[in-house]
Formats: sequence, structure tokens, C-alpha cells
Amino acid sequence: MSAGERWKKYEWRLIRGEPVDPPVNVALDEVLVRRVGSGERPPTLRFWERYRPEVVIGRFQSVSNEVDEEAARREGVDIIRRTTGGGAMFSEPENIITYSVYAPLELVSGMSTVDSYAFLDRWVIETFRSLGIEAYYEPINDISSTNGKIGGAAQARRHGAVLHHAMLSYEMDAAKMLRVLRIGQEKISDKAIKSAEKRVGPLKRQTQLPREEIKERMIETFSRMHTESGLVEDSLSPEEMAEAEELTRTIYGTREWIYSIP
Amino acid sequence: MHGEYKTRGGKLVVADFEVRDGRLTGVRVSGDFFLEPPEALSTIAGSLEGVPADLSEEALAERIRGSLGDEVEMIGFSPEAVARAVKRGVE
Repeated sequence: MSAGERWKKYEWRLIRGEPVDPPVNVALDEVLVRRVGSGERPPTLRFWERYRPEVVIGRFQSVSNEVDEEAARREGVDIIRRTTGGGAMFSEPENIITYSVYAPLELVSGMSTVDSYAFLDRWVIETFRSLGIEAYYEPINDISSTNGKIGGAAQARRHGAVLHHAMLSYEMDAAKMLRVLRIGQEKISDKAIKSAEKRVGPLKRQTQLPREEIKERMIETFSRMHTESGLVEDSLSPEEMAEAEELTRTIYGTREWIYSIP
Repeated sequence: MHGEYKTRGGKLVVADFEVRDGRLTGVRVSGDFFLEPPEALSTIAGSLEGVPADLSEEALAERIRGSLGDEVEMIGFSPEAVARAVKRGVE
């Protein structure tokens, strides 16, 4: 089966994502991957929106190694922990594009995890190239470009489905990011800020398009490459939202989860 | 004690632990790697608990490898990477 045929077997749904409290996005990932795994929901592409700035750390990262907690508090930045591995990202609502793909395991069957990362983000690379950005995949999980790293993906195969999500930098406040994240042993100097700015190639520096327009281009590209007749507009059901709120209360919004590795 | 090792692929592996009577204790492994199932992280840390701190890197890696079932997938790191982070912490 060709790559295109694998995707086109399904009637993909699109959830544009209303803003929620930061940990609710993590809970929604679990709710939706479960539902896709059990067949209660068709394969889905969801964009994340949030109310507040956040640092999202990987499942296996230590909070104190990654975040200056005092600075985060001062800046009003939430700390949340994903269900997937990978690194920390600092995100402000208007500066980041985040999406999750929830698909049956069959979509990536026979593929190594490393290969499936590039496979599941090909539509994103394609979108950026169509915008004139020289984007490419840097294994295992980086979405990069000749002008610096754009973002990173993380994946987990759970509950009979694959959850694949990525955060893309649209704009970056390098000074604020360096105040909140502990990046290596670097001090917050002008030099560190310049070097962080150089490593990262936010989309706004590489295209004139506003964030919302980039999202639309991504949706168009996904529809064209991976569906027969377009993404089907969808939203979260009240049950899905209620489940996510419950999981936020009991797991993803709790200190026990966020500080599971202090 | 605290040891870090950055793998060739760029993933960071961190080991935090204490050494008591020459043995590793309170071992915690963290980093920006991927691991399935996630619960295997405590198996990895647990396999190093009580192990002599002067064990070689190879022997530490062997301990870790031996504790993990075939279903465990380490992505972006390895038993050797964890062993190296531990050794750096000991030294």
C-alpha cells in the first residue's frame, strides 16, 4: 500500500480546538487516542489552543532540570507534563502551533517508530515547502529548516492507536524563554539570547503569513494529501470534554503527575 | 550525585542518585528520550538500585538491559547511555 493510500482509507476528522486550560490539552490527547483506538471516533487531526502560556515538558523529564519554577511563577507560565517523551517547549498562545494526530495503529504498521515520525509529519513539511520554507525532517523528531529548527514531534502508541503531536514555533520571545527554561548551563546573556534565536527558525521569520493562515494552509495540505474528499469538520463531544476535565482533575492537572519526576 | 550524557542523536540522559556504602541508591533517570511503555522507566532505575558504584559502564548497561523485556522500546537512548550518565555522576 502506498503512503497516500494508507491515509486515504479513513474519513479524517478535523477539530480546530477551542482554547482550554493548559493541562486539559494533555487530557484530551488521552481521551481522543483511546476513542480512536476503540473505534468510537474516526481518525482525527486536532489543533491545540490555550488560554495561558505554558512550559510543556516531556513525560520523562525532571521539572527542576528543565524549568526555573520561580521564574515561571513570576511570568505566569503554567508547567504541564505530556504523556509522551521528548523535550520541553515554552509556548505562548499566539506563538505556537500545536497539533495532534490520532490514528489507528494500522496507519503505521510495519514501520519503525523512527520512520513513522517523518511519515506522520510529511504533510507539515509539505505545507512549509509550499510556503517557500526549506523545511526538512531531522530524525528522530525534529521539524527543521535551513533557517533553524521549527519544532518537534512526540509519539506514543497506546490504547490500540497512535498519538502523534508536534509543537511548531510561530514566533519566539527568546529572552522570556531563556528566563523560564533551563537550557543547558547557559546564562541569560545577550549572547545566549542571540544563540537561541539563531538555532530556532520560527515560522514568522520565514513567511509573511499570519499564524491562522498557516494553520489553514496546513489543513488544506492535509486534506489534499491524505483524504479523498477533505477533512470533515468536527468538534469535541460533550462526553469527550467531560472525560478530559475529569482526567485533568484526577491526573494531568495534579502535582503528582506534573512533579512525578521533580 | 548527578550525571548527564548527551547521545549522538542529541537526546539528554540524566541520572540522579546517592552512593551509600559504595552502592547506588535513590536512582532517578530522566531526560528527553522516548520510552515505551513509559512504566519501563522505573524498571530501568530499579535495576541500578543497590548496584556497586564502581561497576564498569558495560556491567551497568548489562544490568539495565537484563531487566527489560522484549516489549520495551528505547528510542533516542540505550542502556549504554544510561550507564554512561551514571558513571559520570559517580566520577
